[in-house]
Amino acid sequence: MELQERFTELRAQGLGIAAISYDTEEVLAAFAQRRGITDVPLLSDDDSAVIRAFGIYNHVAEEGIGENKDDAAVKADVEKYVSVFGANPMIVGTPFPGTFVVDRDGRVTSRFFEEFYRERNTAANIMLKLGAPISGISGSTGETPHLDIAASQSNPDITVGSRFHLALDITPKPNMHVYAPGASELGYRVIDLQLDTPDFIRTLPIQYPPSENYYFEPLDERAEVFMQPFQLIQEIVVGGSPEAAEQLAQLDVLTLTGRLDYQACDDKVCFNPVSVPLTWTLTVNQLDRQRAR
Amino acid sequence: MKHCLSALIIGTCILFVMQAPANTQDREEIDVASLGPQVGERIPEFAIPDQNGTVQTLESIMGEEGAMIVFHRSADW
Repeated sequence: MELQERFTELRAQGLGIAAISYDTEEVLAAFAQRRGITDVPLLSDDDSAVIRAFGIYNHVAEEGIGENKDDAAVKADVEKYVSVFGANPMIVGTPFPGTFVVDRDGRVTSRFFEEFYRERNTAANIMLKLGAPISGISGSTGETPHLDIAASQSNPDITVGSRFHLALDITPKPNMHVYAPGASELGYRVIDLQLDTPDFIRTLPIQYPPSENYYFEPLDERAEVFMQPFQLIQEIVVGGSPEAAEQLAQLDVLTLTGRLDYQACDDKVCFNPVSVPLTWTLTVNQLDRQRAR
Repeated sequence: MKHCLSALIIGTCILFVMQAPANTQDREEIDVASLGPQVGERIPEFAIPDQNGTVQTLESIMGEEGAMIVFHRSADW
């Protein structure tokens, strides 16, 4: 359980942690023992009272076994919010899964809910969005004549529906800069990551940090650039459909390849565009089907 | 008598409408982002047991800066 793995880092950020589900104490005790969960409180809301009080009770689970279960709209919602395998009485009582982050006063400071029940932010991805430092999993490092590049990933392993991120920590060499969004209007190649992804992987727009407005004297022009060390974040969602799960089930390891494209200049010369091949390797965790009872 | 018959028919119709299954055409589209406490709103208090049988509350799980509360569907399936 990733929350357990990130427990120390989350606590270091001053955040308390709790996971709430409709499971009984006995089920949670068995789960905690089986998965080695010693720190994270797993709270039993076995009558769904807290889930209802929060207003996130998944009523679609009931509709899916109710008198309108054959209605096309209900079926579509069941697939999206309850189960891609159809409704099941066992699922009644569950919440729409998601995460609240609150301040000391109990007021929500951020919240993370996905439309498709199978897609979830990893704890590391949430920490990234909270601006909390995380110990990313180091990948390959390398350098070009213009940049030092270190690739990392938020999670060592992924599963069906994981929403995680890849990161590139880039340090321009002395006196060097690369182009940031906005510079393409001047004809420069903005630094960008292109991933070759299987069809069960969805990539979100790359996240850039703030850039600098740089004056390039030889051409008497200003452009948005990165001159200081910076980080590019590529958020990724592993598909949650049965087809995606089927494809993922064939894999023990998911290797993502891509290219970092950029154009670098120093204060006198602009160099030819460069494309740097990159690779990330993630262990594929199959869904945990083991039950406590 | 005619009025009584009309009233009876209307009454029966109303009863029928009340007992009919909800019209699924009228189902509201679910917007998960709008469910539950929004940013700036306070979450409800709770007091429920953890896996060790210890009753936990918002106060007991609270850290120095706040708390992260994760709602899962189940640990069992």
